[in-house]
Amino acid sequence: MNENENNFESLKRLLAFKKREIPPPGYFNNFSSQVLLRIRAGEAREPVTAAERLFSEAPWLLKFLQVFEAKPAYTGSFALALCLVLVFGIVFAERPDYSASQPLVTTQVADNSTPLVSVSPASPISPAVGQIMLAPDNTNPASSLQPVASLFGQQDSLAQQASFTIPSN
Amino acid sequence: MAESVERTETESPAPEEESELVRRARKGDLQAYDDLVKRYQERIYATIYHMTSNHEDANDLAQESFIKAFQALKSFKGGSTFYTWIYRIAVNKTINFLKQRKNRTHMSLNDIDFNAEHDTDLIALISDNTPRRAAGLTELQKKLNEALLKLSEPHRLVVVLHDVQGQSHEEIAEVMNCNIGTVRSRLFYARQQMQAELADYLK
Repeated sequence: MNENENNFESLKRLLAFKKREIPPPGYFNNFSSQVLLRIRAGEAREPVTAAERLFSEAPWLLKFLQVFEAKPAYTGSFALALCLVLVFGIVFAERPDYSASQPLVTTQVADNSTPLVSVSPASPISPAVGQIMLAPDNTNPASSLQPVASLFGQQDSLAQQASFTIPSN
Repeated sequence: MAESVERTETESPAPEEESELVRRARKGDLQAYDDLVKRYQERIYATIYHMTSNHEDANDLAQESFIKAFQALKSFKGGSTFYTWIYRIAVNKTINFLKQRKNRTHMSLNDIDFNAEHDTDLIALISDNTPRRAAGLTELQKKLNEALLKLSEPHRLVVVLHDVQGQSHEEIAEVMNCNIGTVRSRLFYARQQMQAELADYLK
């Protein structure tokens, strides 16, 4: 170790030069008074802002935000991830067959004594219409009773042509 | 109190007196804390300045360190000296600051002491031992600070505390909360790196 110390002798002499760097004259005359001034100002400041209170109660949040402050790349990645989530949300929300592709309900109605709608393989109602009518999140009775499939030009099996006979005198 | 006026700021205070000042400061006595600040302001400022190579940053960080220490005085158990404790606060604050400031190194160097021009050791080092005879003190100062800034924060801290501030390995280990072996190995590695950086000035 002594040999190493000797090797670094010139470097140590050079580093001693750092001691020669001094702040402006009189700098330390006001230093302590500035510190005390800031301490007094901090004590006098009674109301604590909501952000300060939040950060003091949840220091992990401050650390989390400091990560973004120190690494701008993290900020970009986080913003990109949020945008992607938003875009996927919009895309999936607009898919028309998203709800139909889910297994909606079983065809059993809770109370069999009240035959509201029963869907069975033998029922004349088309399966698509039955699914729409029995969608659990569909609370609109008017829409549930409409034969939706007819909107696309298909012949609705429930629709029957009315015929009126006019009695002749 | 007259005794403390006579004592120079660089001398270490008697432990009893320091503990008494700390006790009073803990009770909110700002005059006592003012005395403590005056005792350590130069050393704390110098350490931060040598770590950051920026006077404005050193000023802010030194003030904030003393403010934080005052606010945290109640948590000071007295397991170490007040000097070591406040040094640790300043060092941690500086390292956190440097981590955030990474890649934004702007030097704002202090002036060189006028007496440095008459330092025979230094003059000899510049004019005799280096091929750059015309290199002035200002350029040397700039090169030194650049070489320091190239070190990692723990390595820079060890060099600053030992080779610039003149602290012992034991004191540095206490401030950095590591063992003496770590301090020695960091110091050796840091010196090697600096020697390579400043080769032109060390021939």
